[in-house]
Amino acid sequence: MRFNELSSNRVLIADDDPVIRHLVATVVKQEGCDVVLANDGREAYRVLQTDSKFLAAILDICMPFLEGLDLVQYMRSEKRLRRIPVMIITAEENIKLVSKSFAAGATVFLPKPFVPEQLENATRMLLHNQRMGRSAG
Amino acid sequence: MQTETSVNSHASRIYDSSLAVNKDVLDFDVLNGFERVKSDDGSDILIELIDLYLQSTATQVLTMQTASTVNGWNVVKRAAHTVKGTSSTLGLHRIAKTCQEIEEASSISTDQIGALIRQLELHFREAESALTAERNRRAGNCVVSS
Repeated sequence: MRFNELSSNRVLIADDDPVIRHLVATVVKQEGCDVVLANDGREAYRVLQTDSKFLAAILDICMPFLEGLDLVQYMRSEKRLRRIPVMIITAEENIKLVSKSFAAGATVFLPKPFVPEQLENATRMLLHNQRMGRSAG
Repeated sequence: MQTETSVNSHASRIYDSSLAVNKDVLDFDVLNGFERVKSDDGSDILIELIDLYLQSTATQVLTMQTASTVNGWNVVKRAAHTVKGTSSTLGLHRIAKTCQEIEEASSISTDQIGALIRQLELHFREAESALTAERNRRAGNCVVSS
């Protein structure tokens, strides 16, 4: 039980940019969660193949080997990963990506550049529903 | 021996000198906004972000230079995209703008890319010195003379 409690407090963060990865990880830890970091899409995919105990996932769209949207689609196609809410972060300016992200199954969309308050609010929004669900259950 | 007041007043003069940095090179209002993010070990997040930025951007600029010599435009585009996102978030507008131009040129007119990467390198050097000064100020590495 203890393991399940701890593991369900983990957030997967996948971004090939070490600055954004560190920043997002710090904000997630500020919210009381543990982080699992992936340096690119392939690394995140490998983690998700064997591990589904995540409270949420935060994915960059543009990553080497496997893009964030492909990961979201994979997560939505796997029953064990389907419940994990996903935040998409991107520096792409194509407005269609917002609807593409939601269509793929993303829960929150955060465009770059963002200010710290936006990152914090988006993270809280992402984690809020899961935590509410957990406390209700 | 220096009094606390004289150290603070010197530090504030150093800080004031950072205001002389062009806002396009480094927007301190944007950068300092990240102060509100607190590291779990109490360390200064801005020092960590600056260190990571300088290291990763130097690598990405080198990647762009190398890839452009072998027409690796997709590699150039991806690296420019990454630097654009981080730079705009941290308030390095000039670098972000040049990266945007490189990103666009990688899909349209690749003959401009060499010149744009050289421009990016210059902008990075400008930003590097402003960021290093800010980093050292935060780390308390400034030599303070009375």
